[in-house]
Amino acid sequence: MLETDGQLRTGRDVVIAAMLGAEEFGFATAPLVTLGCTMMRVCHLDTCPVGVATQNPELRKNFTGEPEYVVNFMCFVAQETRELMAKLGFRTVEEMVGHTERLVRRRGGHPGSNGHDGYMGLQGELTVWKAQSVDLSALLARPQVPETVGGYHQKVQEHGVDQTLDHQVLIPLCEPALARGERVHAELPISNANRSVGTTLGHELTKRYGAAGLPEDTISLDLKGSAGQSFGAFVPSGITLTLEGDACDYVGKGLSGGKLIIYPPADAKFRPEENIIIGNVALYGATSGEAYVRGMAGERFCVRNSGAGAVVEAVGDHGCEYMTGGRVVILGPTGRNFAAGMSGGIAYVLDEAGDFDRRCNQDMVFLERMNEAEAEQVQAMIQKHAYYTNSDHARRVLAHWDDLAPKFVKVMPKDYKRMLEALTWIEQAGLSGERAEMAAFEANKSDVSRVSGN
Amino acid sequence: MGKPTGFIEFSRELPPDRFEEERTLDYLEFHLTLSEEKLQNQAARCMSCGLPFCHTGVLINGMASGCPLNNLIPEWNNLVYNGLWDEALRRLLKTNNFPEFTARVCPAPCEGSCTLAMREEPVTIKQIEYAIIERGFAEGWIQPEPPELRTGKRVAVVGSGPSGLAAADELNKAGHWVTVFERADRIGGLLMYGIPNMKLDKRIVERRADLMTAEGVTFVTGTEVGKDLPASQLLTDFDAVVLCGGATRPRDIRVEGRELAGIHFAVDFLSSDTRSMLDDDIRDVGWVSARHKDVIVIGGGDTGTDCVATSLRHGCNSLVQFEILPELPPRRLPTNPWPEWPRILKLDYGQEEALSTFGKDPRVYCVQTKRFVGDNHGHVQEVHTVRVEVTKDERGGLKFTDIPGSEQRWTAQLVLLAMGFVGPEDAILGQLGVERDARSNVKAEYGKFATSVPGVFSAGDMRRGQSLVVWAIREGRDAARAVDRYLMGAAASL
Repeated sequence: MLETDGQLRTGRDVVIAAMLGAEEFGFATAPLVTLGCTMMRVCHLDTCPVGVATQNPELRKNFTGEPEYVVNFMCFVAQETRELMAKLGFRTVEEMVGHTERLVRRRGGHPGSNGHDGYMGLQGELTVWKAQSVDLSALLARPQVPETVGGYHQKVQEHGVDQTLDHQVLIPLCEPALARGERVHAELPISNANRSVGTTLGHELTKRYGAAGLPEDTISLDLKGSAGQSFGAFVPSGITLTLEGDACDYVGKGLSGGKLIIYPPADAKFRPEENIIIGNVALYGATSGEAYVRGMAGERFCVRNSGAGAVVEAVGDHGCEYMTGGRVVILGPTGRNFAAGMSGGIAYVLDEAGDFDRRCNQDMVFLERMNEAEAEQVQAMIQKHAYYTNSDHARRVLAHWDDLAPKFVKVMPKDYKRMLEALTWIEQAGLSGERAEMAAFEANKSDVSRVSGN
Repeated sequence: MGKPTGFIEFSRELPPDRFEEERTLDYLEFHLTLSEEKLQNQAARCMSCGLPFCHTGVLINGMASGCPLNNLIPEWNNLVYNGLWDEALRRLLKTNNFPEFTARVCPAPCEGSCTLAMREEPVTIKQIEYAIIERGFAEGWIQPEPPELRTGKRVAVVGSGPSGLAAADELNKAGHWVTVFERADRIGGLLMYGIPNMKLDKRIVERRADLMTAEGVTFVTGTEVGKDLPASQLLTDFDAVVLCGGATRPRDIRVEGRELAGIHFAVDFLSSDTRSMLDDDIRDVGWVSARHKDVIVIGGGDTGTDCVATSLRHGCNSLVQFEILPELPPRRLPTNPWPEWPRILKLDYGQEEALSTFGKDPRVYCVQTKRFVGDNHGHVQEVHTVRVEVTKDERGGLKFTDIPGSEQRWTAQLVLLAMGFVGPEDAILGQLGVERDARSNVKAEYGKFATSVPGVFSAGDMRRGQSLVVWAIREGRDAARAVDRYLMGAAASL
């Protein structure tokens, strides 16, 4: 099923798209306009005067849109589509899909051929001579296929969702936890054909228990083998996944409160802290939860992390890219361009070689040292890491803590630091919670020294 | 853009006008100004919209939406906000030849279609335009700039109203020798003799005429083409002719008693009043006084308002203004959505003054005049009216039905007919033989402006029918462009 979009506004656009092969049609700007958008181009400034692109309650007062307007608009589009289809002789959309031979190409004229210097003649023909040199044949080509090949969507695609490990094994296994919050523990094999392990299980949990989830470790699954993509993606509080083996990209993507523990097999002959055991973009957009990785991660570790805590023993390039929240401890070397675009959260990097400042992108961050309170927190995280993953490297760090603690570099984003400081004095002034956060936000958002701009 | 949050921080603010009690004692302009800082705050309200509706200049539902001149409003708003007044002036003059006129008399369709006008108050565009141009004159930034090269082509412009002046200004800039013929004794057309002084001080008009003269435009006043000068002579003496004589035939009301004395067309009343004021109070033959009289103004538009204001200044005894249509609503109706011109009730300067003097708005609505009744000396003393119900007929036109039992009698010794203009006069058009359209205007396509006679063009009310000053300027500019092409072909510079 081919979906298309891009300034679709009328039934004619739909018909042309269908004839070019589309069967799903995406509308964005046009329905927004029916709700009042006047294409002011200030969406990014939070001053939308018609209350569309804003959460500011003052501006939202100006919003005059109604869902019925969008419904009305879509009805008009559908009506025009039907009218055009009738003219073309198509009874159903399926009859239309892919029939490029019904599209007539406009011809361009010669320079000055009809006295106009514009682009459109009186009959709507294109008069620009350049149009002649545009070759549309590749766009309009229809492959010659035998009768057995339908030209349009006829069968529902089998994604195999009900064949996943989650559906087949994990959800039934965890039924006591899902239904009654009872503790469930199991040991299972895993292969890299099992993708998004834990995600659907997590969905079932969240459906029942909402954002609060279940108590830590209610569901605890020990998996052995090579995990497929998106291991532990979006897993909520109450689920702990332990993996003995290795994993592909997207480990812990969107982690939402769950706990992930990953370490290499007990009989592995390599040094984990120097070898990659999970792929790229781990913890992509994680919002909360914990991850402990005994080994090296690939590139973009914790990219877009906005609240999860993680301990890992080394990372590749672009670590903590665009991070906006959370706490990350890295017990070894990083690749280059660490902290690119990092505007929030804090990373603690053990810099034994002393060259971290050259690997770090310092556009948006300060490089500092931990204070005592922080050192204690980081130590606690490393202790947990050692406990969960049995990491020799972590034990060594803890054994030499007094020597190694000063070698940790604290990567502190400039904007984040300013926000935390604002929060401190606002809370001292008596505000708390969300009101304090909003006040700190308001105080800072127009500050010209904001690195991320206004 | 000036300030993204400007429209959130600042409300619309206009300078107050002079007090009605004070200003009705003289003919001086009633506008005042804001301080520069306040003006910059007002300019900050402009959001520099990605789709600026303020300068679209199209007709929606027959009404102008957005500036007909396509003034680059967000740009000069931004420049004013940043204190770059001379840049703002240059930006303004790119599109508008006479900002000093529009800033005083234009109804401001730009403000009607301002995006802010959707839910809040529009940007004070007209006030900012006024500030820019007057600052420009005050600082001496506006100096005569005669063109460096002359083409040797000669163009005659008939009529020195806004369209004629705009055409002349543009054609002169292009290097042609322009002669403007005006039958009145002063330049300006309705700018001079139609609009009273308090709305548009005549020194402003003269200032512009002097500037154009210094730039090389020749003005010939007191000469009516078609009477003092045969129209055919223009065709022989000039390479092109632009007819900008306006739509000067007023709409009349043919009822019993029309021939009584004391019933005048508004334009005659106003023009002779202005002329008398300018000629050091020497009352000419046509001058009519409203002093101590009961005045009835028939017509609720801008000209009617001007009659109201002028009558007040004469010291009339009482004042009523008849409007045949129903009172406009206080806010937009759903049938009149943004960005259309807002058809809402406005209290214009004259009505404010009448309110202050007599304690009520002078307008009465849905009134149709049935007859005039005179005294024994052939002078009007009563107006008999009936109330009408206004409905739409099958073709969408308006239908007026008398409401039985609603007859009224009004005392009046002076009746001013301000019911609009129906079209141009015939003399010169007949002599030239230009084709007319169904509404009796000169037939020439908007954008091309060429009449049925080669080399003869027409612009403004003469072609368009009665309209706004801003449209007249637009037509004058575009007609000049057409004339320039006609004269110079590929070498046209406009």
